[in-house]
Amino acid sequence: MHTTKTIYLTVTPPEDSGLLFEKLLHSGWRLKALSATKEQHDFYDTFEWNAFEKDVVIVKSKKSISLVDLNTGQETDSTAFKGNPSFFFPADLPLGKLKERLLSYSDIRAFIKLCSITTFIQSYHILDEIEKTIGVLTSTSLYVEGSKKEEPFASLLSLIPLRGYQEEIEKITHHNSLGTPLDFKELFLFIMTASGQNVQGYSSKILLNLDADASIHESTQRLLQSTHSILQKNEHGIKNNIDTEFLHDYRVAIRRTRSILKQLKGVYDQRETAFYLNAFKELGKKTNQLRDSDVYLLQQETYYNFLPAFLQLSLKPFFNDIAASRKKLHKQFCSYLASSDYQLFLHKWHKFVYRDSLPDSLQAPNASLSTRVVAKGSIKKAWKKVIRHGRHISSETTDAELHALRIDCKKLRYLLEFFSSIFPHNSIIPVIRKLKELQDNLGDFVDCSVQLQFLCDRLNAMPPGEKECFCAASMGGLMATLFQVQEKARRKFHKTFRSFDNDETAQLFHDLLSNTPS
Amino acid sequence: MKTIAIYSIKGGVGKTATAVNLSYLSSLLSQPVLICDLDPQGASSFYFRITASKKFNSDKFLKGNKKIHSNIKATDYEHLDLLPSDFSYRNLDIELSEEKKPRKKLKNNLEELSEDYRFVFFDCPPNLTLLSESIFAASDIILLPLIPTTLSMRTYVQLKEFFEVNNLDSTKIRAFFTMVENRKKMHRDIVNEFCNDPGFLSQTIPNNSEVEKMGIYRAPLNAVLPDSPAAKAYSNLWKELSAELSE
Repeated sequence: MHTTKTIYLTVTPPEDSGLLFEKLLHSGWRLKALSATKEQHDFYDTFEWNAFEKDVVIVKSKKSISLVDLNTGQETDSTAFKGNPSFFFPADLPLGKLKERLLSYSDIRAFIKLCSITTFIQSYHILDEIEKTIGVLTSTSLYVEGSKKEEPFASLLSLIPLRGYQEEIEKITHHNSLGTPLDFKELFLFIMTASGQNVQGYSSKILLNLDADASIHESTQRLLQSTHSILQKNEHGIKNNIDTEFLHDYRVAIRRTRSILKQLKGVYDQRETAFYLNAFKELGKKTNQLRDSDVYLLQQETYYNFLPAFLQLSLKPFFNDIAASRKKLHKQFCSYLASSDYQLFLHKWHKFVYRDSLPDSLQAPNASLSTRVVAKGSIKKAWKKVIRHGRHISSETTDAELHALRIDCKKLRYLLEFFSSIFPHNSIIPVIRKLKELQDNLGDFVDCSVQLQFLCDRLNAMPPGEKECFCAASMGGLMATLFQVQEKARRKFHKTFRSFDNDETAQLFHDLLSNTPS
Repeated sequence: MKTIAIYSIKGGVGKTATAVNLSYLSSLLSQPVLICDLDPQGASSFYFRITASKKFNSDKFLKGNKKIHSNIKATDYEHLDLLPSDFSYRNLDIELSEEKKPRKKLKNNLEELSEDYRFVFFDCPPNLTLLSESIFAASDIILLPLIPTTLSMRTYVQLKEFFEVNNLDSTKIRAFFTMVENRKKMHRDIVNEFCNDPGFLSQTIPNNSEVEKMGIYRAPLNAVLPDSPAAKAYSNLWKELSAELSE
């Protein structure tokens, strides 16, 4: 379908853009005023900007929500949307293309209201010398909803040429005094900045560009600052119960923090890190049950699908219980986040990660070593440990062996991610890919194992009774299925490990560790 | 996409008024509509205040798809676009005769538009030439405005004969009476004679001075004077025709 491209211009200072524009029209052309309107637009995206990453803007106007192509400014999908929520999940939207597209951007994250913009719009038809409408001029004043400023943060002129009149309209925009041309993406970024949004300002990944020649102390400080920032950024989402990924990222930040302190030995005074290692361990523990509840609730549909229809209904009390207990756990953890204990701890931790001076060389003998040397050494050590422990795993492949190896792999993975920026991209990616295959296998195994244990505990704690009989049967059904999946992962382990513990993967590690890091 | 040619061998029978008003009425359904002005006089382009770009001519028209696509212009009415005519269209027949398979040319040239438009109306020049044959092949309906006079009725017969001789599908031809003046006996008699003919639509368009004033308004009558007798008649004609198209 043919579409014309809208031209946006910013007008500074804001003034009656319509009058300004009329002065500039070709002789013989005129503007015909249409009615003036006031509109509110609410912009949404996930905390990780999943829609923006796909060049899509989500905007709610009146009673519908639309997807707009960031590059063209054209609306591509739209659906009815009631209310004015501070966030929503695509799963709650009516069936259709828009829902499918949002689910493809993220099926787990909530779409959060980024900002509300109030616009005062005066539109005009642009008529040429024979009174033919050749375009629509819209003069828009934009205000950030809730802002105390009375002035608009921007005045815009948008010109929509009618089909076949793009050239004529473009000619008049070349006039210097009219304003600065913007494309839709620039306009969107302009609105986001004005409303205090930091576009793509969050990623759960470590996105640092470490200096291989810098001291490891400097690099670890930067790494810890990064995990500290992720920790803080996710608190708001946890407190407001927006989606499960805030807690997930928060927990990953804790694990990464501990991994940095624990694996990179001799970088800090051990007496000091012992305190933080323990404090973060305790902090992580406070979130364990809450995260477990999240995982089970996220798995609801999968669990239901594991069972025949006649057993599905009796699983409902099981999930109701989890949801109720989650509510309590969430409240407890939020109270902790608001406590002075936590605030004081964070304050202390903040001072620690932003400390400039090197620790005492006697207590932290490795602090001044180069990042390159420590990164290579620690990765090599962690890799060898995975190999050593993996080779020791017996033909029975016990749960304990696989649990332990999973932790070894995780440690190696964290190190690779921490220091990925000092290695050539094409050397580190294949190594991570190989490790991920092994981690996926171990992850499948351990996930089933944890879930089986959870179900088993629930089953043991269940009171006897006719009502519970069906619930017990459902849980039995689930356990049988989970057991099958777990055994499949167990059987697959030795083959997967062989694919990691082979010459090809060893060569990848050698290439990585022998290369001079960039 | 449904294609409707407003066609007559004879001039001055209200082809352009019909094409302009019916295309406008069909666009009110919020479905994209295109009117192709094929007459070098460019009357429907004039009614919509549209002129072809300087680069557009019959040669570009015959090149088809992309060239046509880039020369379509929006009218002042939502969902209604127009492919303007150019004076060079007077040579279309000669140029068409030099093309391979000239009778299928128009149909092939408009293929790409089938995804963009629900209805395409052809405002045809008044003659019976190779271009007309190409239009017949490209159209689902050939809408024939007839003034209820002897000469006009003769053109209906001539067209029917032409279709039979050339093995064309004459069921595509749908005639209707236009510029009907009930005070004239001949008009009344002819309309009465053909009102039950299966080749005719039942709705007639009265002779109304407002139709002529479309040249002053430069807009569809149904957009500026929807309550005028002729506008109401066009509205009913479109209802009757669209019901047939959806069958």
